[in-house]
Amino acid sequence: MAKENRRELVRLEGVVKRFGDFTALNSVDISVQEGEVVVIIGPSGSGKSTLLRTINQLEQHDEGRIVFDGMELTDDSRTLAKIRMETGMVFQQFNLFPHVTVLRNITLAPQKVRHMPQHEAEELALQLLTRVGIPEQADKFPGQLSGGQQQRVAIARALAMNPKLMMFDEPTSALDPEMINEVLRAMGELAASGMTMLCVTHEMGFARNVADRVVFMDEGEIVEIGTSDDFFQNPREARTKLFLDQILTH
Amino acid sequence: MTSMTVQQAALSHRLAWARANLFNTRANAALSIVALLVSALVVYLLLRFVLFQANWGLVAINWRLFFIGSYPADETFRIWITVFVAAGLVAVTYGLWGGRLRPYMVALGVVAVLMLTLGLGAEWRIEEQRFTEEVRSESGETTTVSGTERTLVGDRGWAPSWLYAVSLGLAVPFGTTWVLLAAAFAVLMVGAWASRRLTRWRRNPIVLQALGAAWVLIIPLAVVLQIGVSSTHWESAFLDLMVFAVGGVFSFLVGLLLALGRTSPYRAVRISCVTYIEIVRAAPLLVWLLLATFVKDEFGPIGSAFSSIDIVFRVMIVFSFFGAAYIAEVVRGGLQSIPRGQHEAAEAIGLSAAQKYAFIILPQAISAVIPALIGRFIALWKDTALLAAISVVNTLEKAKKVLGGQTDIAEGAFFEIYVVVGLIYWVVSYLLSRMGGEAEKRLRVGVR
Repeated sequence: MAKENRRELVRLEGVVKRFGDFTALNSVDISVQEGEVVVIIGPSGSGKSTLLRTINQLEQHDEGRIVFDGMELTDDSRTLAKIRMETGMVFQQFNLFPHVTVLRNITLAPQKVRHMPQHEAEELALQLLTRVGIPEQADKFPGQLSGGQQQRVAIARALAMNPKLMMFDEPTSALDPEMINEVLRAMGELAASGMTMLCVTHEMGFARNVADRVVFMDEGEIVEIGTSDDFFQNPREARTKLFLDQILTH
Repeated sequence: MTSMTVQQAALSHRLAWARANLFNTRANAALSIVALLVSALVVYLLLRFVLFQANWGLVAINWRLFFIGSYPADETFRIWITVFVAAGLVAVTYGLWGGRLRPYMVALGVVAVLMLTLGLGAEWRIEEQRFTEEVRSESGETTTVSGTERTLVGDRGWAPSWLYAVSLGLAVPFGTTWVLLAAAFAVLMVGAWASRRLTRWRRNPIVLQALGAAWVLIIPLAVVLQIGVSSTHWESAFLDLMVFAVGGVFSFLVGLLLALGRTSPYRAVRISCVTYIEIVRAAPLLVWLLLATFVKDEFGPIGSAFSSIDIVFRVMIVFSFFGAAYIAEVVRGGLQSIPRGQHEAAEAIGLSAAQKYAFIILPQAISAVIPALIGRFIALWKDTALLAAISVVNTLEKAKKVLGGQTDIAEGAFFEIYVVVGLIYWVVSYLLSRMGGEAEKRLRVGVR
């Protein structure tokens, strides 16, 4: 694989994030190349979600640098607007807008932020819904859909802004087991299309099969980064081994 | 079960239901019978009062005073325009929402018949008689007192008057008024019936935006139409409605801003909003109204500017800012009920803070608190009764004047007059409550 030759999309250098006395991220360094799929694993409270959330600035980092597509993130409102436009995020709890239709959930941002005409936005939304396999649900309200369908709408909603980076924050953790696969399939197809992805997940099958690299985090630090084959077959760190033993032997 | 009609089937179904639910045990049967007897008694007493005992004459000859007071007769077209625009707007909105008409047609039909019954117009008249009387004082001198004695004459039986009113083509006692009211009612019904059939319009953004704009503009329209009529002529129910409409709109807008201000990231903004709310809510509306009435010129330019405003507009300002404090707290409750995830999702797709609130947070927050919000508006509407205490001629004050000015013929009609005052408050409160109920039903659609 010639991924090393690709352009760098995101770089974090010494990023620190504190919540009061608690240090959620303790000097995190990581670089993600364009087109790369990176899976982040680790025990709960290890800072995985916070890492994603500093990248689109849902949480502002306290120290260090975050550079996205050549632009350093500051508290300037223009960089904030740009990073939000160019990254998409999928949440554990879907967070669809329950008071509007599925179609409107998807067309809202392109229309209001990118000033796309309504018919164009609706066409795009239907395309994206077809891509995630549920075009027939366009006129329903989120509450009328199953969890798996809602999460696929959330993916379509994030894609509607044509982002350079897609971030998934435990997208299957709130789903019933029979619905996990439909969401993972949509994510797999997205990865195959060349999208740059950062995924926090407990789905080891997905990490093994789809990820280019796997990151293991614990206590706010990146413990180990490796290509997915390497990572699962020869973990170097003791903490990684312990974690993998715990989750793979149940 | 061979040849039962639908009606028979429905009846037997109801009887079966009653047997199963109302007469299933002895205690239940006894309770049902007692309840039935009590309700029958209440209905009987009510009907007896309304139809035979009550003296509606004073109400009937003073309808106009209850609605518009001494509003100049030549200018009533200004009010009628508002009435017709409002009727059309309500009709189209309700129709597009697919609202059912029959219950309202029945209810309004009953009200119309009742009004005609109370109208009794032609049968009632005031007879004035000059009288001269010799009065002997204690000291033995005699003085002559003369004056006018007014008596209300007419037949109190309801049926003949009612038939008479109908047979005259609703032309008495305020011919045009009845005709115009009937026309407004027709606009309401036909408009709703027609727009119910325009299903294609329901999802047409241009139609919906135009409708929204019309709703936003109707109250300014009502106010602009009054330019040329001094607010000293605004009286009775019309005055109450104007104060309520203007006060309601502004208290909602200011309340929204205060609620948002309380969640602001800036401490100074938060503190000012909380301070405002706590101060305004801490004193009764009546006290604020009295303060606004007797505000002194000496309080610098703001005081003298405020005191130079006509009292009716001062009252509107007080209503706006008083109502806002309460509405702010209601809306804050709604804002707090929106999960953090909605904010994050809206931010993550790139919406600005203003867009986030306009399209995601406020619509959900407001629809979550519609019952409490409607409660606030109903309270604000009924608070207009307080204007009587500062001698602004609202419905209540007018009713008192009607009684006071005609005590010689109002004998025994005090109760009837206040029944009508109560009904005027009730009708508007009930409509608000129904509007809230409908809005709640429609907005619930998307909520889990």
